[in-house]
Amino acid sequence: MESSAAKMILPSIESARLRKLQLVGIVCGFGAGAWLGAAEAPTKLVKLGVSPLVVSLLMVVGVFLARWSLPALIRGTGQVRADIRQAPHLIVWGILAGCLWAVANTLTIFAIRDIGLSIAFPLWNINSLLGIFWGYLLFNELRDAGKIRWLTVLGGALLMFAGATLLAVASSAQSPAEHPLRGIFAALGAGVLWGTMYVPYRKAYLTGMNPLSFIAFFTIGELGTMLTLAVAYGGGPDALFHQLELAKPVLFWLMLGGFVWVIGDLFQQYAAKYIGISRGIPLSNTNQLWGLLWGILVFGELRGLSTSLYAQVIGGSLLMAAGAGAIALSSVTGKEHARWKQAADREGQRYKVDAGYVEAGLSGNDSTNPGSQVSIQSARTWLDWLLVIAATTIFISLAVLARAPNMALNWPALAALAAAMLIFLFACGIALWKTTRFN
Amino acid sequence: MTDKNATPKSAGVWTMIFTDVHFWVPTIVLLAGLVVLHWIR
Repeated sequence: MESSAAKMILPSIESARLRKLQLVGIVCGFGAGAWLGAAEAPTKLVKLGVSPLVVSLLMVVGVFLARWSLPALIRGTGQVRADIRQAPHLIVWGILAGCLWAVANTLTIFAIRDIGLSIAFPLWNINSLLGIFWGYLLFNELRDAGKIRWLTVLGGALLMFAGATLLAVASSAQSPAEHPLRGIFAALGAGVLWGTMYVPYRKAYLTGMNPLSFIAFFTIGELGTMLTLAVAYGGGPDALFHQLELAKPVLFWLMLGGFVWVIGDLFQQYAAKYIGISRGIPLSNTNQLWGLLWGILVFGELRGLSTSLYAQVIGGSLLMAAGAGAIALSSVTGKEHARWKQAADREGQRYKVDAGYVEAGLSGNDSTNPGSQVSIQSARTWLDWLLVIAATTIFISLAVLARAPNMALNWPALAALAAAMLIFLFACGIALWKTTRFN
Repeated sequence: MTDKNATPKSAGVWTMIFTDVHFWVPTIVLLAGLVVLHWIR
């Protein structure tokens, strides 16, 4: 029997709605940068001799808890089941994206070990250039966008890359490279994996899936791969268990890092959904600026450097900010959006997804009630509340066990940055709620 | 309205995924990443 997906032609989204969705995507892109940049902060408190793989694994456990409890709290797991019924193939794509993330994240650990964070960070941030490439090649992004938009997106991404490199050169003054070639391969590898990870993201969002559902499957691939890598490269299950015992006092900080990362990633997913990966990834890569702010202001890094190095840091930051600004101003035209819809058509036909579901997803409406811009009341079940209560209980228990860090922190700066993050959280949350009801 | 007939069966889903060129892009990159990881660890 021929389904409605077989011959679908998606209707145009009215231009006012399109502008609203793009604004939401841009706000979410900047919010993602702030939260992803802060995610490294709790891990800086960890000074024990715990293996980097175990550090990563524990962050991923925090990510896992947050990724199952937050969607349950915001929409209820019933919505996740509704998404699976419409597009079951996206489970595979979600898990694949999670595997890519886990391998990339592990590579970053080795990159930091071998060449230091300051050099490694901008190298893996090439993911935004790769994201533009995949977005153009596979999903019609920037097609029929006109020269000016091409120039602003590509120029903005290159400006950000140049700024990131300047920042790296400046801050590498404190971290000499030990194994430069291995470290560079690891950092570049992470960039390629993360840049390619956005292929499944875009695939999912063109087909109408809700980011809250997608991340639930993503995290299965992520945790499974991370656990396998930790056991395989950490000396077997006994050695891993021993490391986990060692890490008991810092479990809370690592899992908190994972939790913060999830919120940033969630905003990144919404950015990828509403402004595409070619614009969404560079905006969320402003996380490097936020990471630097945390390092300099809260943890006192880069103290006592020469004036020229400080000038490099400021120059690099300004370049990154200018690049992000250019990308944010490069709106998607009606013509380009029509090309996005062609890609969405193609996905819907290939995977036989209902046209109404795809269209609702693209326009940020409730996919279970495609005609409406207001969501049907998301009923939460006992399972949702159980997930939320279990995750909260685990975090509180670990917080009780946690050892206070013995580090000199700049508390006013910490409070100011935390306040900035909360402002982004509310701004993104309100924008998403008002425009899409988190659809 | 949602068309329930549109939901493909499990075997069909796998065929659709494996015949999708897009699927092999991240899969090959993932395998390459594992090779790099094994080398640098």
